[in-house]
Amino acid sequence: MKKNLVSLVAGTVLMASSMMTLAADKLTLQLKWVTQAQFAGYYVALDKGFYKEEGLDLTIKPGGPDIAPAQVLAGGGADVIVDWLPSALATREKGLPMVNIAQIYGKSGMMLTCLKSSGIETPKDFAGKTLGVWFYGNEYPFLSWMSKLGYATDGSADGVKVLKQGFNVDPLFQGQADCVSTMTYNEYWQVLDGGMTPDELTLFKYEDEGVATLEDGLYVLQKSLDDPAMVTKLAKFLKASVKGWEWAKANPKEAALVVLEYDDTGAQTEEHQIRMMTEVAKLLSTSSKGMGYLDPAAYQRTVDVLLGSASTPVITKQPEGAYSHVVFDKAMAM
Amino acid sequence: MSGQWYKQQWLAVATMFILLTIIWYLAALILNGNQLIKNLERRQQSWSYSQIISEAYAVKRPALPAPHQVVAEIYKSVFQTKVTSKRSLLYHAQITLNSTLLGFVLGSLLGIAIAIGIVHNRTLEASLMPWVIASQTIPILAIAPIVVVVLGAINLTGLIPKALISMYLSFFPVTIGMVKGLRAADKMHMELMLTYNASARQIFWKLRWFAAQPYLFASLKVAIASSLVGAIVGELPTGAQGGLGSRLLSGSYYGQTVQIWSALLMSALLGSLLVWLVGFTEKRMLARRGGQ
Amino acid sequence: MLSTIRQIAAVILIALQMSLVVTLENGFYNRHMGLLAVLIMALLLSWFLLSGLTRLSDVGGFRSRVSKLSVPLIFAFMLLLVWQSLVCGFDVPLVLLPAPTLIVTAAWHNLPLLWADFQQTYLKAVVAGYLIGCGSGFLVARLAVRSQFLQNGLLPFGNFMSSIPIVGIAPVMVMWFGFDWPSKAAVVVIMTFFPMLINTVAGLQSVDPLHADLMRTYAAKKSQIFFKNQLPQAMPFIFNALKLNSTLALIGAIVAEFFGTPIVGMGFRISTEVGRMNMDMVWATILVAALAGSASYGALSLLERMITFWHPSIRGVKH
Repeated sequence: MKKNLVSLVAGTVLMASSMMTLAADKLTLQLKWVTQAQFAGYYVALDKGFYKEEGLDLTIKPGGPDIAPAQVLAGGGADVIVDWLPSALATREKGLPMVNIAQIYGKSGMMLTCLKSSGIETPKDFAGKTLGVWFYGNEYPFLSWMSKLGYATDGSADGVKVLKQGFNVDPLFQGQADCVSTMTYNEYWQVLDGGMTPDELTLFKYEDEGVATLEDGLYVLQKSLDDPAMVTKLAKFLKASVKGWEWAKANPKEAALVVLEYDDTGAQTEEHQIRMMTEVAKLLSTSSKGMGYLDPAAYQRTVDVLLGSASTPVITKQPEGAYSHVVFDKAMAM
Repeated sequence: MSGQWYKQQWLAVATMFILLTIIWYLAALILNGNQLIKNLERRQQSWSYSQIISEAYAVKRPALPAPHQVVAEIYKSVFQTKVTSKRSLLYHAQITLNSTLLGFVLGSLLGIAIAIGIVHNRTLEASLMPWVIASQTIPILAIAPIVVVVLGAINLTGLIPKALISMYLSFFPVTIGMVKGLRAADKMHMELMLTYNASARQIFWKLRWFAAQPYLFASLKVAIASSLVGAIVGELPTGAQGGLGSRLLSGSYYGQTVQIWSALLMSALLGSLLVWLVGFTEKRMLARRGGQ
Repeated sequence: MLSTIRQIAAVILIALQMSLVVTLENGFYNRHMGLLAVLIMALLLSWFLLSGLTRLSDVGGFRSRVSKLSVPLIFAFMLLLVWQSLVCGFDVPLVLLPAPTLIVTAAWHNLPLLWADFQQTYLKAVVAGYLIGCGSGFLVARLAVRSQFLQNGLLPFGNFMSSIPIVGIAPVMVMWFGFDWPSKAAVVVIMTFFPMLINTVAGLQSVDPLHADLMRTYAAKKSQIFFKNQLPQAMPFIFNALKLNSTLALIGAIVAEFFGTPIVGMGFRISTEVGRMNMDMVWATILVAALAGSASYGALSLLERMITFWHPSIRGVKH
């Protein structure tokens, strides 16, 4: 009898919970940048109904040059954000409890693209040169690297002259900078489109310079992880997103077309997006545990790079509790 | 206004227009030519002036696109694409127009309300007036992204934050103009009203409101242009949700200078149209009063 | 008598509200909504305080000057108190909106940095752009008034230009004039030129026909007519444009700095610190901008009073 009662209660609870998921769970994702193939996986999962299958009603908010995803997260404008680990850790130290729940990109796509005609062949040649850098939370890897090389970035002699680069690679064409920041999957191709040839350029990939930091990962506020129902929701979201990414990796051309569908500015071109998708596919996580697993060793490498910059501290102490595998484990178990 | 006057007017505008176009073409030649020369010299290739002149107007990423390139781009994105398409400039202009108009209406109402308060209440005038002026020294445009994010935190997204930025910019000229206008009533008329022992409300509706109308329209023209600027800047941070501002941004981001200039020209046309509409309404409204 | 009691009550309640904010742990409104009543009452009663002070200004002499200054200051203080109370009371996260006290603290600790930014943006870009823009606007207006043809061609074009969001040309200017302050100055020049042109033309044309006839009767030279008649008449219009431009120029320069700068400047600081979540520093920079803008506006207003003391709008005809 008792057993029956227990199973009855359990059955009712199950019923209730399945009823709950029928009414689709709302979830909002804030991207780090504008709609482009860098985020193809999420758009594919949305377009192909992978989120719907999991009972999620997902809204994707594109970012922009003046949108700080962490700020949107703090303001409650999004439940999950795509952000880079350095800015996430810096924000965490500012007292906003952001936690990494999954790491989608395994490799960094950041590089410094320099003109050979400026006489730059190795990092030794940077002294006195003008380098274009993105700010807005993306300056941390660069500052760490310069600090490792021992260059001052405040404009003093023997240091490097830093420019806050706009959103494009024009400074290189206008002769206003000797190097500009580029992503392997995006701005580098804009340099080539602008009429430069690879043999005119020297490339410094952050991966090769040993200063790579983890890029696109998924972050939530700590309070979401304290709520079991929310963890379940996030696990479903992660499962569907990974599925979307796998699909995009397998079908880069179709994925790029899906992204174009969602681009509200009408400014993206098919050619550029397909190329971007091909490059992005090379950076995606290839963790043996499955895409989305944040490898503690890789995490520690990023932290060490950041802590290694003495002159311009990005973070001042070893972060605690900045990542969690709870959501990933739950998604794997589904 | 005689036909002779109009002829002179048109001649002057046309001359100016032609002169500017010539200057534009020359500037494009110089800027793009220099860029070409720089590129060729970097590759140690030789060049001649005739070659530069022939290529300067067909550069892929021109520093300054030639007028015909911009016109072609506008023509393509206005007439050759469906209005519903995201590549149509009209589609983006309409998005910007929505928040401009909403912001303009809110801003004008707020401006008129503050002006009425200031004219009728000395305490309000003493405490508020200096801050109305100081409010415009806050670089609201610079913190537009923060405004958008903070309002997003209380679930105000899309049109509303942009309209609020427009409102912030447009209430100021209306307030200043209306305070002047509501006080511009003829002294004789004012004394007459007081002789009749008219109430403040009667004075307002029968006298002040009419005296203020020319001032109101003058400031509405400024306000609607400000609203448009506010809406466009409000679109910059929310770069991917359409509108002329996001066209400017994505154009700048992808180095599509032709797209930047066509968006700029489009917003100028839109702005002129809006200002002209306000002026047209003014003529119709004030014509009834005679003497204009 | 009653009004005195109300004013005393206002002072007491404001003091009470201040002590609440200072002593209680953040998030007190989340815990006890009832405390909001104190804030609302303090706000309502402060109105009586303000109107009492406004009435003082009729007395004349020293007291009226004190009240003219103190009324807007008390008003601003009440606004700040509401801001501080709400941010502390509802425990709004720092990354959304910092409390005024935090902003002032951040400004105090970063004075050298703020000064360097101010030099870069204001003393270089704004001042240079403002002088060139207003100066050339004035000169072109003087030419335009002499030639009907130029006026017919320029004014419609000026109106057309003033409806362009000048901010949109900032990336183009960066492309042409480089990353440093000249590109920002160029944006300011274009921003300030047209308002100055349009206002000055209107001002120079506002001459009373009687005065013009009189000048002609005296066989005055062109330059004499300009300096003795047209220019003084145009002064209120010109100052109008100068005041409007002083705030426009600052905002234009700051926004232009969003599109690429060296690593100094007010616009650079705002956009970078937002990315770093240092909202207190962002607002400290905004505070500097607001102070600089208000000071420029105020200085121009004073100058206007000194120069056009004879004009009816200054002599103060009120009703």
